[in-house]
Amino acid sequence: MNIMTLLMDILIFPGGLFAIALGLLLTGLDRKLYARLQRRVGPPIYQPCIDLIKLSQKETLIPRTANITAFRFAPLLGFAGMLAAIAIIPITGIYSGLYQSADLLVLLYLLSMPALSLVIGASASGSPYSSVGLSREITMVLAYEIPLLIVFLTVGMRVGMSTGATAVFSLSSIVNYQLQNGALLFDLVMLPAFFAFLCCIPGTIGVVPFDIPEAETEIAEGTLLEYSGVGLAMFKLTGGLKMLVLSALTVALFFPSGLGSFWLINLLWFIFKCIVICTVTITVVRATTARMRLDQAYKFYLLIPTAMALISLFLTLFSVRV
Amino acid sequence: MSTFLKVILQNIIKGPSTIKYPFEDSLAPEKLRGKIKHNPDACVACHMCEYVCAGGAIRLQESADKKGVDFVVWHNSCTFCGLCEHYCPTNAIHLTNDYHTAHLQEDKYHYAERTFVMKQKCTRCGEPIIPLSPSTVEKIYGKEGDVKGLSKMCPQCRRKVLWEGGVIKK
Amino acid sequence: MTELLQKIVKKSPWIYRINAGSCNGCDVEMATTALIPRYDVERLGCKYCGSPKHADIVLISGPVTAVVKDKVLRVYDEIPNPKVVVAVGICPISGGVFRDSYAVAGQLDSYIPVDVNVPGCPPRPQAIIDGIAMAIEIWKKKF
Repeated sequence: MNIMTLLMDILIFPGGLFAIALGLLLTGLDRKLYARLQRRVGPPIYQPCIDLIKLSQKETLIPRTANITAFRFAPLLGFAGMLAAIAIIPITGIYSGLYQSADLLVLLYLLSMPALSLVIGASASGSPYSSVGLSREITMVLAYEIPLLIVFLTVGMRVGMSTGATAVFSLSSIVNYQLQNGALLFDLVMLPAFFAFLCCIPGTIGVVPFDIPEAETEIAEGTLLEYSGVGLAMFKLTGGLKMLVLSALTVALFFPSGLGSFWLINLLWFIFKCIVICTVTITVVRATTARMRLDQAYKFYLLIPTAMALISLFLTLFSVRV
Repeated sequence: MSTFLKVILQNIIKGPSTIKYPFEDSLAPEKLRGKIKHNPDACVACHMCEYVCAGGAIRLQESADKKGVDFVVWHNSCTFCGLCEHYCPTNAIHLTNDYHTAHLQEDKYHYAERTFVMKQKCTRCGEPIIPLSPSTVEKIYGKEGDVKGLSKMCPQCRRKVLWEGGVIKK
Repeated sequence: MTELLQKIVKKSPWIYRINAGSCNGCDVEMATTALIPRYDVERLGCKYCGSPKHADIVLISGPVTAVVKDKVLRVYDEIPNPKVVVAVGICPISGGVFRDSYAVAGQLDSYIPVDVNVPGCPPRPQAIIDGIAMAIEIWKKKF
């Protein structure tokens, strides 16, 4: 791999600058739409950029009981993980993934890095509110990783069994299979898995009804309590990038088809699809539901999305063609 | 579940219901209890408002040169309860509907309404008194007004004038 | 350069509320300024945050009672600079109706430096938005 293209992929397009811009755009659109759904005016769309600029100018206060090294370096872990994750996901028509054999399972590990960085940051803070937040965060990660893993397995097996091998986890192969044989979204066997994946998205990002680790009114912002200044800006940026990674992953796994061959139209079509997914799974759900209790959320994740994903898995295993 | 979706659609169609306050003005109802306004011509310095004030915001003090009475109401301690307006016998103190009360810390002790109730000389003996307010004069003497000029005299002179020129003749 | 920074930064102040022993009347008014659609304060870029470490402008209500005085001072120290203090209601400014009570430890500005006062019992939400706008002007000059 050429070092220049590697740097360009991770730092400029599609990672780095492009991802940060798109992530902030998605966050801003989410806040604006959420306000309009409540008949308010809402902040302007470029509000997250201003928030980040302001946060970088505030001073950083480190609590006396904190572990200073871990406290300072925790935000960077999640950020680095998300930057690498975006570089792996292919965008049809423009970009074909970082490595030809880039894995879905590597992406699964990278997707848990922001949660890990929150946990490390919260435990390095040394405050009781943070420890309550971090135990809730770990519980939520355990809850939503199960259906996520089963959905990845289902998609890999579906693509694999049609092409001769048992399971194929390379994202480029999955995308190429769909470009040739029709999107997986329109395949009725994969529809429950799609629904299960959509249920996992609010949990991963930490949005109502699953924003339990960061419950503002209950534990005074939980995991992010002791962060201020640049560290907090990094965490908010990572949240925006996570939205982009998850919606890009949904697009790549279930309906990656492009529109013609001109790169600008493909790019705009991709951004439009990301916005639609974010609107349906994050904003509308955020505006209409209330926060669940931890045991209710755990039970929900272990019952409904897991059941849906398992239905898809068994139907795929027995090669049922519908 | 479907009620939520209907409400969302309605909210998008109806648009925002926000009053964009610093850029658009927001109407204040007429009877809104806002900042205090004092009319020194109608005040008789009876100290009733000072007595009933809930926040202890009103102070009446005779001025240093004894020419009148200083009336101060400190807006930073006024609870806008309206008791002073209710109990004032001459309707000299009112609550307006002005609610713009935010100010900087430097103006904290200047943020008050100060008026001066002037004493006038009694027309008979020359002693400085606070005269009756016009509304009280109208209540007592009715339409024909104060023909004897009694409202401009101090209480002792008023008694003497009525004794001398009144029912009991000397 | 500083002027450009000030112009950018004044569009995103984050607000934190401290209740220093108040009767909650002013707290209700402060909650309505942000959350209800009629007086939406989020269009100015403000956001109510849950942790004092994220805050820029702090709204304090309530006379500083003797029980809560130390805690208010500790939470005030947790707020990173630059910060602005707004005293909402007449209780923190002058003690209000509780001025000479045995339970009240004094006026707020004998403990922490206050920048903007918004008297009223409780002040109207529009007056609180006025106070926040004044506080933003003071705050952006501290950068």
